[in-house]
Amino acid sequence: MNVLGFAWRSLVRQPARSTLGILGVAAVGALLFDMLLLSQGLLLSMRGLLDRMGFDVRVVSSDQFPGPGPDLDDAQTLAAQIAGLPSVRSVVTIRSESADLQRAGGESVRVTFLGVGGSTVRPWTVVSGRDIAADRELVLNAYAAEELDAAPGDAVLVKAFCFPEDTAPPQQTFRIAGIAEFLFDAPDTLGAATTADDLALACAQEAGKADFVAVVSAGDPEAAAAAISAQHPDLRAMTNEQAVGQLQQRGFTYFRQISTVLSTVTVSFALLLITVLLTVSVNQRLGEVAALRAIGFSQRRVVLDVLCESVLIVGIGGGLSLPLGWLLAQWLDGILKRMPNIPVQLHFFVFEPNALAVHALLLGATAILAAVYPMRIVARLPIAATLRNETVS
Amino acid sequence: MKRRTFLLALSTTLIVAFSSAQTPEPPSILVSRQLAETEGLAEGDVVRLALDAAGAGARPFRIAGVYEPTPDPMRLGTVPREVRMHLPDLLALTSDDDAPTGAEHVARINIALADPANARAFARSVNGRAPGVFARRAAATGSASTFVVLERFHLAIAVVTIVAATVFLLALTIMLVDERRETVGVLRLIGLPAPRILLQVLLEGLLIASAGALFGLALAWVSEGLINRFFQWRYNTALIFVQVTPRVAALCVAIAVPLGASATLAASWALMRRGALRLARR
Repeated sequence: MNVLGFAWRSLVRQPARSTLGILGVAAVGALLFDMLLLSQGLLLSMRGLLDRMGFDVRVVSSDQFPGPGPDLDDAQTLAAQIAGLPSVRSVVTIRSESADLQRAGGESVRVTFLGVGGSTVRPWTVVSGRDIAADRELVLNAYAAEELDAAPGDAVLVKAFCFPEDTAPPQQTFRIAGIAEFLFDAPDTLGAATTADDLALACAQEAGKADFVAVVSAGDPEAAAAAISAQHPDLRAMTNEQAVGQLQQRGFTYFRQISTVLSTVTVSFALLLITVLLTVSVNQRLGEVAALRAIGFSQRRVVLDVLCESVLIVGIGGGLSLPLGWLLAQWLDGILKRMPNIPVQLHFFVFEPNALAVHALLLGATAILAAVYPMRIVARLPIAATLRNETVS
Repeated sequence: MKRRTFLLALSTTLIVAFSSAQTPEPPSILVSRQLAETEGLAEGDVVRLALDAAGAGARPFRIAGVYEPTPDPMRLGTVPREVRMHLPDLLALTSDDDAPTGAEHVARINIALADPANARAFARSVNGRAPGVFARRAAATGSASTFVVLERFHLAIAVVTIVAATVFLLALTIMLVDERRETVGVLRLIGLPAPRILLQVLLEGLLIASAGALFGLALAWVSEGLINRFFQWRYNTALIFVQVTPRVAALCVAIAVPLGASATLAASWALMRRGALRLARR
């Protein structure tokens, strides 16, 4: 019988302790798996959202992204200049202001009002009705439509607050073209969007300002960002990768740190407990091990038996920990997403193959390290004395 | 007169300059500890603040004190280099010279209500009476606030850890009880009834669990200081990351001791159902 088969029979012979050991490893492994998913989850999710918006490069006035950096002045001219670069496919200017929306006879609600200029690429997805096509049309997100009790085709009064001293902004009538989904909407975010020209109209000013310019590259975002930086050295052009890098430096560190701490604690916990389980198990079977050595089992063979038991417990437990960890991740993600202003489509726990590899590596190392002490006990076991003690007792 | 000028990476791009000017007495400001440390500022220093990087229109201010910014877990990783000043001084610094008095604006006004439960109704009333002003309830302090959500997250992690620990504990106690099978058999053979032996096992379990819980608390108390010091140094913040409060300690003991004792009892239960001779291997 090979070593693995022998170790398997040892485990099967003691089903209660083996099952509990495996379940314990599964629970600890699930937590470890989740912490590995959490360590990069937010960044991966944010990266995914930025990519899904369809833009490769963002041009902003300062290093603060995302953040309340100064507006870009004369954004239309800027967008036209950037669009002329060979490494750029299309350019969109994006500006957001606060606005009060009100249906006739209804209460007004304060929304984030987006104005998009430039190409026809839109940073939203229409889910009912149609996209904006004519002047003075807007799209609402589902929550704003619900709060306003409005549907596509309805008219709304818009008061946009575009200046800090704007105490009585002009009122404009817009028509709702459709209901749209914005990628970065939080569950309680009230959002609306229109063209840059119509937002400027609502602000009673010339279209020109933008929060940032979003660029679709011709295929090489790095080259596009470099070309834009060369053309406008006073501005900051950053690829999605660089934007995520900024987020990694300025925010999200809390979850990365907690993930590191909990991963360390989890692995230490697993190591300690599996070591104790194996050590107690081996101590109870010293007579049996001595008998095996006496009938011809080599020292290497009995040591390998212990190692294989550890590998089987950790291996089976680790395998079970993956589906268990995935379910646990969904639960924990649901808890964390209740934080205010977290976009609906942002996730804290995101799967990546690298996490699986690290999980397997850590559990493998745990299985080996946990078996070191019991293997040492078995290797140094005095055969004759142990057999004598066993017989006497 | 010694004078030096340097730039600060403040959100409003301020120019700060030391000055020994004494007259007229400049208005007072507070600077954040982090800003004071990085720029070597101290109480009593006079600094000059301006709105643009060129330092145009800079005004002198005297540092009245250094304050510790309220720690914010959502801003972890960003060092708060901030200045606080009286509102009239800020308005004087930021308003155009030709702007008529009274035309200055503020971004927001915080209001403490006599009865916070009326916040929504109050906001509705203000919105109805003051066009152009938008009033809303302050950031959620209930079930959705960041701290509450993080607390729930940590609780969930703790639950999973307890489940894992319980499973391991059961496995260990089963092995330990199994190791004492012969002793239990002999005790049964000399006449001790099963409930009496179970009581003894329960007491042993209680003692071991209590000792384990106390050791765990001691470990937590020791690591609390180390963890806080490390992360406060790492993020340059006064945020307390770990705090072992009496309530937390009591909760840990309340969970650990009954759990440990129950695991011992559960593991022994199966043993008690076997015959005394079989246990004693006779």
